[in-house]
Amino acid sequence: MASLAPPSPDTSRRNLRTGAFAFAGALAMLGLGYASVPLYRLFCQVTGFGGTTMNATESDAVRAAAAATGQKISIRFDATTAMGMPWTFRPAQATDTVTIGERDIATYIARNDSDQPITGVASFNVEPEQAGKYFNKIQCFCFTEQTLQPGQEVTMPVLYFVDPAALDDPNMQGVEQITLSYTFHRAEDPVNPAPERNN
Amino acid sequence: MKNAFLAVVAAGLAAFAPLSVAAQDAAPAAPVAAEAAPAAAPAAAVDAAAPAAGAAAEASAYTPMAPTKGKGMPTSYQDDPAKSLTFQDQYSANGEYALWMHDMILLPVITVISLFVLGLLLWVVVRFNRRANPVASKTTHNTMIEVVWTIVPVIILVIIAVPSITLLARQYETPPADAVTIKATGYQWYWGYTYPDHGEIEVISNMLDEAEALKRGEPGQLAVDNRMVVPAGVPLRIQTTASDVIHAFAVPSLWFKMDAVPGRLNEKLLTIKEPGVYYGQCSELCGARHAYMPIVVEALPPAEFAAWVKAQGGSMPGEEAAAPAAAPAAEAAAPATAG
Amino acid sequence: MATTAEGFDIHHDHGHDAHDHADHKPGFFARWFMSTNHKDIGTMYLIFAIIAGIVGGAISGIMRVELAEPGIQYLQWWAQFMGGANDVNTALHMWNVFITAHGLIMVFFMVMPAMIGGFGNWFVPLMIGAPDMAFPRMNNVSFWLTVAGFFSLLFSLFVPGGTGPGAGTGWTVYAPLSTTGSVGPAVDFAIFSLHLSGAGSILGATNFITTIFNMRAPGMTLHKMPLFVWSVLVTAFLLLLALPVLAAAITMLLTDRNFGTTFFTPAGGGDPVLYQHLFWFFGHPEVYIMILPGFGMISQIIATFSKKPVFGYLGMAYAMVAIGVVGFIVWAHHMYTVGLDVNTKMYFTAATMVIAVPTGVKIFSWIATMWGGSLSFKSPMVWSMGFIFLFTVGGVTGVVLANGGIDDNLHDTYYVVAHFHYVLSMGAVFSMFAGFYYWFPKMSGRMHSELLSHIHFWTFFVGVNVIFFPQHFLGMQGMPRRYPDYNVAYQFWHEVSTFGYYIMAGSMVFFFVNILYALVAGKKAEANPWGEGATTLEWTLPSPPPYHQFETLPVITDAHDYHDHRPVTA
Repeated sequence: MASLAPPSPDTSRRNLRTGAFAFAGALAMLGLGYASVPLYRLFCQVTGFGGTTMNATESDAVRAAAAATGQKISIRFDATTAMGMPWTFRPAQATDTVTIGERDIATYIARNDSDQPITGVASFNVEPEQAGKYFNKIQCFCFTEQTLQPGQEVTMPVLYFVDPAALDDPNMQGVEQITLSYTFHRAEDPVNPAPERNN
Repeated sequence: MKNAFLAVVAAGLAAFAPLSVAAQDAAPAAPVAAEAAPAAAPAAAVDAAAPAAGAAAEASAYTPMAPTKGKGMPTSYQDDPAKSLTFQDQYSANGEYALWMHDMILLPVITVISLFVLGLLLWVVVRFNRRANPVASKTTHNTMIEVVWTIVPVIILVIIAVPSITLLARQYETPPADAVTIKATGYQWYWGYTYPDHGEIEVISNMLDEAEALKRGEPGQLAVDNRMVVPAGVPLRIQTTASDVIHAFAVPSLWFKMDAVPGRLNEKLLTIKEPGVYYGQCSELCGARHAYMPIVVEALPPAEFAAWVKAQGGSMPGEEAAAPAAAPAAEAAAPATAG
Repeated sequence: MATTAEGFDIHHDHGHDAHDHADHKPGFFARWFMSTNHKDIGTMYLIFAIIAGIVGGAISGIMRVELAEPGIQYLQWWAQFMGGANDVNTALHMWNVFITAHGLIMVFFMVMPAMIGGFGNWFVPLMIGAPDMAFPRMNNVSFWLTVAGFFSLLFSLFVPGGTGPGAGTGWTVYAPLSTTGSVGPAVDFAIFSLHLSGAGSILGATNFITTIFNMRAPGMTLHKMPLFVWSVLVTAFLLLLALPVLAAAITMLLTDRNFGTTFFTPAGGGDPVLYQHLFWFFGHPEVYIMILPGFGMISQIIATFSKKPVFGYLGMAYAMVAIGVVGFIVWAHHMYTVGLDVNTKMYFTAATMVIAVPTGVKIFSWIATMWGGSLSFKSPMVWSMGFIFLFTVGGVTGVVLANGGIDDNLHDTYYVVAHFHYVLSMGAVFSMFAGFYYWFPKMSGRMHSELLSHIHFWTFFVGVNVIFFPQHFLGMQGMPRRYPDYNVAYQFWHEVSTFGYYIMAGSMVFFFVNILYALVAGKKAEANPWGEGATTLEWTLPSPPPYHQFETLPVITDAHDYHDHRPVTA
């Protein structure tokens, strides 16, 4: 007794084509999932989403300084160390008042409290978040990894300015203070891996 | 003072030894406490060491404020059936506005819609059952009614959207430059509060076990050894971050909830209307003891807050900052001024 | 219009020989383990979903019993039962394992397999007049991938997951709790289980899309397809577009955990918030994946038992499309407290509320379908009417939560738990029971007991409402979700909730007894036991349908009524 007749070759071909299209759609979304990592980073860097700061060049700074109107804004400096990071990390001063458009320098102090060299890497953002796209860093210790020898203490500078364009943004109305926050994490170190947590 | 404070912290951590990461890593007393608390419920663990912590706390100048029943904490059905059905009373302007929006707009709207649908269902059951209506109509269209049931929900949503957007705008007002700044850091499984403008005070806040909490007249599961003390009636800049995994800083009676995300700082304005003790709990799954890292915000009149700052070895902004390590010097500092 | 479906017999012209053809079945092993038959695979999915539902439901029972009073009562015992250490953290870790397993099982191994794998496989080909799915072998692969995923998840319960055995990350698997916060292979196995079942679902979605686009019987235009088929089509697209994003996200979690990448680790420049964006970009469509097939079933059932065609057919179909599309642009309402800026939060508040409009269209169209009908309250109908009311309740609390400013208080509280159980544990589950009672006679060839199914309905209705309605109160009072222990002030409503669980669990006895009764002693089901209102093609076939159906494709002609998709023989 013969089993059910297979679908006609025509239907099979159409099915394969439709199925391939659908599957390609799924693969495209899979690709989009991975692509979202660089895309999200790019999106944040361009729009300041999530309080992402801008990287600026010297010439940007000069342009901003030319547009400065003399208005002031308060900047708060915040420092955090992540789990497993045996550093003391703090801003040299908690707040500062700067002229919008003019460059300023802030310093953080970091000390390695452990008995081995530790490499740290900083993550950062500003609050309120709408200030991200106006907060420009010309130089920052957060751009690279930092290695401290046991007991070593260093001061680390951030050279920054607040873009005068902030004054024209309705979202920035009423923002009296911008907090610049850094968190130092222990960089992945294959030679001296961070102790595994055993709870 | 600072040393006394640290002793309190150490005692608190030791009490939590089997339960707290920090204590496991650091406190030498941990094994003793661990033996005292073999395995049972977390409550048992703290019993042993809690009296010591309590004694140390009494030694300091500041006495924790006694909570008011039903204020800043949940209300049980037995105490007040009506209050147990709805939100906690609100003690911030935004909280009052949000509560008003819920009680006056959202709740009536959703109740009416639900009852309307229920009513229609009951009506068709009565009117269009097989016996009452043996012959079914064949109506499958009525443009008028379809337009109505599209437009009316849109109108209702617009009515909801107006206060909703207003509420969001208010919640996102930015703190003034001189707002009192408190940074809440989530750890597995406790909170740390730092006051960067007040001589870098650091408060480590661990949950009190049930027995100790009740002894102190506080609600179980919600009380902590060291509270986040803030001034009432002035703008606060609350900043949150986390050291290990994501936590969330939440206080229901202040309509306040903000995630503490490792590697980034979040910030929000909070103004507490009146002095009081406001309880909250971690609100983002953060591991085993997620349920055991409550938040207690104690709002004091500004002058008392200044006194508390001094008692912690800190200083009010504008005064000469006392170095964190030189705690005794802080005691000699000029009397704190309010605000 | 008045012709009934019984008049239509596709085997009429074939005679005896063709009937044998249609009933030729392979041997037991080949039939059930290498099955390519959509009905057999559908049956296996349904049985699998019931088993997974028993496991997931039992876990919720463990949780409800633990929550009946404050303090930790039973978790230490469970910790040791699962092979964990005898200490507090392990006991508490077990709680997180239970909430994780309950969520993952109910979402990925109960609702999705039952709705899409079970009812979708069984009835999409029947309703569009197709002999089988487009890719029958792939259909089999989909099913066994889902089973493999389930075993991977079960296996994860018995291997270390950080503070104890099993993955305690919540079904959301948020980094960094799921990466640096959970040492041990349990989370890897849990993630792998999502990979397996996700792959199965993507293959299934491809299969459904192809089947619905290419295999419809002559005359069955898209705008004549039954709404259940529409709902599965929209769902398949949601699966196809959403699941790969989850797959990418959890693969990155795996490499973060095991191979030193830092996609979501701030120490390497990653961002844990990005994981949440990716998860919820999948997670919100996932919510509609779980409910849309239910919408479709409810539409069929309401029309059948009202003896009326569905009101506003096109509006119903495109409301589902609209819900599916909008479902992709509202994800961050699950992340209101993560630290979004004001404009983002306002956008997601507004976009989320928009979903209420097509949802309202559906609710009112169902009622309008009943309006003027001649309603008979058979078991599928009462479950459907229960669905409409409870889904409305769950929907309106969704409107409350949509407000970003209100959510600042309710986020991650029991209010949210109550909300999503009203739309899922009552919405999706009620629609599944409705669909089950609707199609059980067709699938098994036996009639179930109407009495038992009505008792099942009423006890279940009372039970789930007693469980979940008080959870609104708990949430508003501030009770956070995912807590095994709580302040004594919350005790009363937790006790009530747990009491409701007992009612609900007891109610399930009637369900299982009913199935047994029907299989053992149930009356033989006619081709169409529901009468003239049941107009879709599956009712033209015998109950159960022959092993192979529609060897000669039925032809659907253009009836007078455009939206009355009733088959007419050529």
